Amino acid sequence: MLRQSFSGGVVIPNPHPVETVEIISAPLPDKVVLPLQQRIGDEAIPCVKVGDKVLTGQVIAKTEDHFCVPIHASISGKVVSIDEQIIPHKSGLKSKCIIIESDGKDQWVKYKGCGTDFLHCDRATMIEYIRSSGIVGLGGAGFPAHAKLEGIQDCHTLIINGTECEPGIMCDDALMQHHPQEIIRGVEILLHICGAQRAIIAVEDDKQEALNSLLMYCHNDRISIEQIPTKYTSGAEKLLIKMLLGIEIPSGRFAIDVGVVCQNVATTKAIFDAVVDNKPLISRIVTVTGSGIESPNNYEVRLGASFEHIVSMSNPNTNQHAIRMGGMMMGVDVETIHLPICKITNCIFVNNIEVKFSTQECIRCGQCNQACPVDLLPQQLYWHAKSGNTDKAMDYNLADCIECRCCDYVCPSHIPLAEYFSFAKALHRKTTEDQYRTDIARERFEFREYRLDRNKRERAEMMAAKKKELKKKMANDKTQKDKIAAAMARIKKTKKASDDA
Amino acid sequence: MHSNAHNTNQIMRQVVYALALGVGAAYYFFGWGIILQIALAMVTAIVVESVFLSLRKLPVKPAISDGSAILSATLLAISIPSIAPWWIVVLGVAFAIIFGKQLYGGLGNNPFNPAMLGYAFLLISYPLQMTTWAGEFLNLSQAIDVIFNLTSVDALSGATQLDEVKTQLALGKIVSELDVHSISQAWINVGFLLGGLYLIVRKIITWHIPVAFIAGMVFISSMLYFINDQIYLPIQSHLMLGATMLGAFFIATDPVSASTTPKGRLIYGFLIGVLVIVIRVFGGYPEGVAFAVLLMNITVPLIDYYTQPKVFGK
Ligand code: SF4
Ligand code: SF4
Repeated sequence: MLRQSFSGGVVIPNPHPVETVEIISAPLPDKVVLPLQQRIGDEAIPCVKVGDKVLTGQVIAKTEDHFCVPIHASISGKVVSIDEQIIPHKSGLKSKCIIIESDGKDQWVKYKGCGTDFLHCDRATMIEYIRSSGIVGLGGAGFPAHAKLEGIQDCHTLIINGTECEPGIMCDDALMQHHPQEIIRGVEILLHICGAQRAIIAVEDDKQEALNSLLMYCHNDRISIEQIPTKYTSGAEKLLIKMLLGIEIPSGRFAIDVGVVCQNVATTKAIFDAVVDNKPLISRIVTVTGSGIESPNNYEVRLGASFEHIVSMSNPNTNQHAIRMGGMMMGVDVETIHLPICKITNCIFVNNIEVKFSTQECIRCGQCNQACPVDLLPQQLYWHAKSGNTDKAMDYNLADCIECRCCDYVCPSHIPLAEYFSFAKALHRKTTEDQYRTDIARERFEFREYRLDRNKRERAEMMAAKKKELKKKMANDKTQKDKIAAAMARIKKTKKASDDA
Repeated sequence: MHSNAHNTNQIMRQVVYALALGVGAAYYFFGWGIILQIALAMVTAIVVESVFLSLRKLPVKPAISDGSAILSATLLAISIPSIAPWWIVVLGVAFAIIFGKQLYGGLGNNPFNPAMLGYAFLLISYPLQMTTWAGEFLNLSQAIDVIFNLTSVDALSGATQLDEVKTQLALGKIVSELDVHSISQAWINVGFLLGGLYLIVRKIITWHIPVAFIAGMVFISSMLYFINDQIYLPIQSHLMLGATMLGAFFIATDPVSASTTPKGRLIYGFLIGVLVIVIRVFGGYPEGVAFAVLLMNITVPLIDYYTQPKVFGK
């Protein structure tokens, strides 16, 4: 039973719905490009050289940092180069990648995990398998899964997020329909690792097939499956927790602070593969959709294959296209289709280029604050962000904006509000950092002044003390002199007396 | 959830459409005057806005097509007497656009409701023309004659009910001796009420301001009526006379100059309702909507700041 919904959010129907949600196995790519820089952490260091033969699933790069996961070859073949390539990132920057040319054989490394009776494995082993298989959050965040699971104490509820994070994306729906068994077993593994009492799988109420197939395989009374309204941003972790458990996580805190762990369904399935077989994560399911695509679909594709590899399979029309990775709301526009698929690539939008509505002034109609899932006042944030008054925007809780773009979506003046907010946040961070630096500098300066001053004072005190001592000594000397003089006088006297005598 | 209109011009246009019922009622009772006033006002708005924008070297077309100037002009035209001379509406609209909007930097930046600023300006400067109302139905040629000063107004004019009541009460009459009802005014108010409800249903405006506005009026007028039913009008008279419904649904809800938080809108609307009655009853002018709205416009930044919704997780 749903405890409570959250206010705001927007209902956006899937813009390009399909009859049946399938998963098509994409053919092996001829070549894969595997970036060494992952979403989080340091750049990995290659442990293969150009010319080396590699097997599918072989570790080709890793870091010392335990936080990061190793990088595996996603096909078997030959390393043809290790150099800078454009990576799928909003900056359009280049970064170092390992490029492997396929030998067409797809020969795998050997791997062995806990096996299907995984319950005999201990937590640490499982987590190590999850790390060495390279599992990161596949919902889009890309946070290493082992890092989230390590050190969990006091977790009472596990939430498995089966909501599609954005309208149009179908890959999690497809996974739930076609791999329910692995997901349910994955949940059991996670229950074991987290020590939670129960798990809730959240599925949107327009995904009846997904729900049915999960129900068919769910025979564990610690696992329940709940339907939540199909509304954009209900997949956001904090909002999901509020809906399912009625717990509102305080601003600036995390799910684990209230005893809840969240995982996405795709990650859960990957964790199952990792623990049971210790099978490296070398592929993922990607949705290809958009107005430029005749037949939107989901593909299971090797990591590092080019976007184009699966887009070409979905009958793109011949128009000029705008490519966007991730969802229509929070995704990122990219320049080219020749980019490698990464662990976090859940969706590729291929859209016909359209004329955008021109932006008009804010008329303060308030539609944006009705849509905001975290109850901000975007129109006020906009007003202050536009004038560069980030302090004032922070007063209006700019920091709590999740940049979901619900406000943009409803704004009748078509103002790119979230862009302003993300810019204002960056600006604020910078000014506070500058402020911090100047503060530090000033502190240092002040300390130096203080030190100099102290030294001077100390020296002065020292001098004074010395002087005093000297004086005292001199005074002592004086008494000494007097004594001597007295003694001399006495001697003289006695001498005189004896002389007189 | 969100509105059915997907851009600002659609919103403005819907509001203009929603005015049709009330305007229709006014036409039914008083004839062509109101139609001519609206036409004059719209033309003035477009001309003034274009000239001003070209002087500021800004693109003219997008600003005109956002519909906000036309809406302000229409609201002002509806608020003034339908037989006012042509230069009244022209002056008022020009004042509203220039001083109410453009000098603040255009749409979205104006703290005051432009239409009401224009109205207040006219009322203060030309009290006579602003309080002489049509007394009967005028056909097109009569209306043209009157508006363009070809005939004297007196033959066709009368005072409004609110005006009349105020004068009579000042002369020492008591409420029970007066006719405090007016069929025409009641129908016009019903017209604007229905148009307003349409806007709420279409989610162009939220219910907060109109409901709070009317609640504020009911609250204060029932208190007064309870204190002395001989010198204060009954609630239903206040609701059905003057610009009540036009004010509640179309004027106080002008989003740019109103409070923008849900709670703030309740406070804003309620206080306008209270002020309208206070001005009608105790002030020097028979109608209080314009001054009430302008007064509350000043308080908006304060209301907005202190009525921020509780943010998730705070
Ligand atoms: S939805 Fe757009 S126009 Fe309306 S208040 Fe928000 S920012 Fe302003
Ligand atoms: S982008 Fe920020 S302000 Fe806009 S709706 Fe989302 S959370 Fe609210």
